[in-house]
Amino acid sequence: MTEVITQTPPILTGAPSDKERKYDRQLRLWAASGQAALESSHILLVNSGTGTVGIETLKNLVLPGIGKFTIADDAIVRDSDLGVNFFLDEDGLGKSRAQHCTELLVELNPEVQGDWFPKNGEPLSLPDVLGNEGPYTAVLYALPVHPRCELLLQEYCNQNKTPLIAVHSTGFYADFKITFPGPFPVVETHPDVTATTDLRLLSPWDELIDFARGMTKDIDSLDNHEHGHLPFVVILLHYLDVWKATHNSAYPSTYAEKVAFRKMVSEAARTDNPEGGEENFDEAVAAVLKTVSPPSLPGDVKEVFAYEHDSPIRSSFWIIADAVKEFYEKHGCLPLPGGLPDMKAQSSVYIQLQNIYKRKARRDAAEVFESVRRASGGDAIDPAEVDLFCKNAAFVKLINPKNNDPERLLEVADEELANDEMAKEGIMPPSLFPIYLALRATAYTPSVETSFPEDILKDMMTLVPQLGDQEPYAHERYEQAAQEVIRGASGELHNVSAVMGGMVAQEMIKIITKQYIPINNTCIFDGIGSRCQVLRL
Amino acid sequence: MDPPQTKASTPAIATPATNGAGAGAPAPPPSSTSTQTTPAGTTPPARALQRQRPAPKPRDKFYFQSLGPSATFNVKQARVLMVGAGGIGCELLKNLVLTGFGEIEVVDLDTIDLSNLNRQFLFRHEHIKKSKALVAKEAAQAFNPQVNIVAHHANIKDSQFNVRWFRGFTLVFNALDNLEARRHVNWMCLAADVPLIESGTTGFNGNVQVIKKGVTACYDCTEKPVPKSFPVCTIRSTPSQPIHCIVWGKSYLLSEVFGASEDEAAYDHSEDADNAAEIVELKKEAAALREIRESLGTGAFPQLLFDKVFNADIVRLASMEDVWKSRKKPQPLDYRTLLERSSSALASKEQILRDDQRCWSLEENLVVFIDSLDRLSKRMLELKKAHQGASGPEPVIEFDKDDVDTLDFVAAAANIRSAVFGIEPKSRFDIKEMAGNIIPAIATTNAIVASLSVLQAFKVLRGEFQQTKELFLAPSNLNRLIGYTRYSLPNPDCPVCSVYQTSVFVDLSKATLNDLVDDFVRLQLGYGDKEFAVSNELGPLYDPEETENLPKKLSELGIKGDTYLTVIDEDDEDPFVNVVINIEEATDLVEDKPIKAVAADQKPQIPRRPKKVQPVAVVANGTAPQLNGKRRLEPDAAEPSTKRRRSASEAEEPQAKKAKTAPSGRDDVIVIDDDETGQGVVVLDD
Repeated sequence: MTEVITQTPPILTGAPSDKERKYDRQLRLWAASGQAALESSHILLVNSGTGTVGIETLKNLVLPGIGKFTIADDAIVRDSDLGVNFFLDEDGLGKSRAQHCTELLVELNPEVQGDWFPKNGEPLSLPDVLGNEGPYTAVLYALPVHPRCELLLQEYCNQNKTPLIAVHSTGFYADFKITFPGPFPVVETHPDVTATTDLRLLSPWDELIDFARGMTKDIDSLDNHEHGHLPFVVILLHYLDVWKATHNSAYPSTYAEKVAFRKMVSEAARTDNPEGGEENFDEAVAAVLKTVSPPSLPGDVKEVFAYEHDSPIRSSFWIIADAVKEFYEKHGCLPLPGGLPDMKAQSSVYIQLQNIYKRKARRDAAEVFESVRRASGGDAIDPAEVDLFCKNAAFVKLINPKNNDPERLLEVADEELANDEMAKEGIMPPSLFPIYLALRATAYTPSVETSFPEDILKDMMTLVPQLGDQEPYAHERYEQAAQEVIRGASGELHNVSAVMGGMVAQEMIKIITKQYIPINNTCIFDGIGSRCQVLRL
Repeated sequence: MDPPQTKASTPAIATPATNGAGAGAPAPPPSSTSTQTTPAGTTPPARALQRQRPAPKPRDKFYFQSLGPSATFNVKQARVLMVGAGGIGCELLKNLVLTGFGEIEVVDLDTIDLSNLNRQFLFRHEHIKKSKALVAKEAAQAFNPQVNIVAHHANIKDSQFNVRWFRGFTLVFNALDNLEARRHVNWMCLAADVPLIESGTTGFNGNVQVIKKGVTACYDCTEKPVPKSFPVCTIRSTPSQPIHCIVWGKSYLLSEVFGASEDEAAYDHSEDADNAAEIVELKKEAAALREIRESLGTGAFPQLLFDKVFNADIVRLASMEDVWKSRKKPQPLDYRTLLERSSSALASKEQILRDDQRCWSLEENLVVFIDSLDRLSKRMLELKKAHQGASGPEPVIEFDKDDVDTLDFVAAAANIRSAVFGIEPKSRFDIKEMAGNIIPAIATTNAIVASLSVLQAFKVLRGEFQQTKELFLAPSNLNRLIGYTRYSLPNPDCPVCSVYQTSVFVDLSKATLNDLVDDFVRLQLGYGDKEFAVSNELGPLYDPEETENLPKKLSELGIKGDTYLTVIDEDDEDPFVNVVINIEEATDLVEDKPIKAVAADQKPQIPRRPKKVQPVAVVANGTAPQLNGKRRLEPDAAEPSTKRRRSASEAEEPQAKKAKTAPSGRDDVIVIDDDETGQGVVVLDD
């Protein structure tokens, strides 16, 4: 007999499934809905170059459980690949890189399917992979590629409304760019919980007013226990009434007024009790500046309301958005999210108050749902989707890409060159735009081993002619970037590709789950300084 | 691309090249250094020079190209310790192996669980219950047979991992999931003067920090959030929130019925004195509960337990009128009545148990309570049967968030208690998170943090600590994604690293306290005629008035190897900081003195104490100082330059600006907080 007694919990039919247990730590970030989206996704990787960064990205997508991936890559595994790519081993030497990576990647998660092309030593036909094997939820390709290949991918993604991600990693430098196929709305942005409190203290509805007045009509004759357990929401509503009575029926609006109002609430707390103060009044005082403000429309929501469609076909997001806009125009506020923060109160009172907020949220959502139903195409929309939208109404986000704007690169170049004027003075960190440009200049060069830095610099200047006019300081940074790209010799550093693999997969998960806000649209990474910058290009 | 080369050769040891860009890149090859200051056009072709370099092994080709010969050599020579082989650890091991690190030791005491598999990619389903360290080694070793990986399935706090052992490493990586182990490794790395790269993730957030004794802040220079504990009476008598009932279910009920005893760590005893009478009652209650344990496994057990904790105990509590003046009085439940109402719930038991996200009704909770109690009781009886006649501790079942039986029991018991006290119920999914202190964890964040750690390691290997950064993933800063600040300076009031640490070889069979005081402290440490006191965790050993121990041998005073002594300077004028001496046992000292400084060739530079009273950390035997998790820095103590920003800052501190703002020579860091205050340093996952 040993001392160690291991407990093996019996497998029970009623328990959460193995899958739920395996994914437990991520379900807490994107819930069952996000997981379902991942599991029904199919990702295409078009691999090239030394081929590590794309595989690192796939690893980070296979682990959380995408449905399927397909790798298109006609490279053969070489010795130098083994030093940078964890998903290749010596058994694979001389064999198809796509096949070998696929086999090792699917080992990570038996629930994920993997496929690869080309098979049986045939040449790779990208049109076939795109046309016959999809549809794809998102397409990822590694640079450098042939421009023809890039064009094929762009055409496919444009036609099928598929997000396209390009990633390039060489030496200490890397970048990736997301091309959204059109406006990309996000409902579940997961704002910080502290930001989501919406108590509507300056636009209370009848039920809330009656409840608060009922509790405070004889506020001075309440015993210490009752007085010390008034929820802070009720306290604030009461003293807002008091304030209005002496201020021409106006709410405190300026900072000075709010401070005065706060003083008024603070002075109303009882101090002759054994505790020498009241926790609920402390909570009320602390909440004044944050919660005593009229409802306002966040900029991101304004953008959603103002979006002009160029096609008459509307997704459910836009039908609900129109209904919420209608609600806003009618009531001057968004649907109530309905949550109530923790506060000092008797449990029964707190629950009543919680229900008042919940009921109002349900009524608001029902009203939105009614107008959704009236809209064309709205009869198929799930009420749960409307509820979700209403709960998140103040935090919806629209990524509105302006694709194919030839002037954009030059605009950004001007901004970043101006930034570096300040960087020279030490006010700003230097821009990573030189890295972007050096990578862009070599995005179609299979190997830079025969190039010279000045070749790359020349290509960079073709892309951004302004570079020629720069003073030596700014110019030098572009020169250094070109040299570093040459030094990387079109090879990948595993660590830099691993950072990129994590970051690209992170953004792809956001896109696939439609939760959290993805970047818009280009991320540049400098592995020397461990710095990162996002530019909209 | 070049064809694979057959002839391998060792990279030459080049003199470390200074990087003209000042960005702290690993040494560029000569071609690059020489061109940095040369105008374009006269640049010698990189390719031409490349041919003259020693050829690297084919698999190292890309590394050699980018890192250059000197950094490649540094990496190959380094002996690296990785503490933790979980989420960050798996990624880190992959990166280290593929970067060509030559010798890697891995320590982890954990075994693999199903819930690790969504991110800890070196592990598979068939590895569940096996050692993380050993499986990780096997998996990673296969990819680069040239790397020497040593795995320890052990606790990093074990005595075998002493200061001397730590000193054998070039660099230590923390890939841990808990505060205690992080503090321990921090302390050991300070004591051994080995650089440490600390990292952590939670959800989309993560951070990386380089720690080097005397140069950067240490892990304990900033206050860390401590796990929440609750007053005993809140948990046992007056719960008002779901979490109170969950803690009761987990730390009291489950522990008393199936565990060793109440889990004391969950309690905050600071209010006990005010509630002395109630505490006595609670002790009686717990004793009565333990008696009921005797009926475990019998058909009467569920009702006995239910009646005790949801009826008898509640009736007693409710009778204490004083307590309920300002609270809602709890309502005892009747087992029979509730059971009768539960027949339909009972019929759909399997469905209920699958319902993770929905809050169960009271009746449903009763069904789960009885069912999970039955499952746990059967398990306990089997364990006891297996244990019969064996020596050692009685078998126990402890709470494990991933063990469904214990989770169901705690969830149902907590919800029934909530019903008794009029508190809202919670779903099993939520209870799991609250009871298990679950930190969301995903592959992507771990991948980013682990690779950023290795990028910082390149700087550490070159000794460029001034070039290191504190990095923070800033998921809500969509213009940056990765935030950073310059490394922080040590906090002069840090109770851990503001002491001066040193080590001494002692022949414990010969050395007396006098040898230590005169030969080591006065002579070698340079205390001279100063007045000072020496103590260990048991109390004072020597001070100017307390001299009778001086002739005694250290072994007689109970001093062993791998323990610590603290020297406190008692001078009023400009005293030394406290010195902590690590005793390293040695029997083969060549000199006639039985005591010898470990770094005898270096004159110790003990800093002077700052002009404030320092809190004295208690140094316990063989472990890092215990801070009780409650240390607070004096509000005025921390200088702006040593305060860690709570959120990822967007601002780098460019050299030019530093010169402008810091004429006094102090490193004043400009703080530009972005809008996500409160984010950042709370990083506890592996």
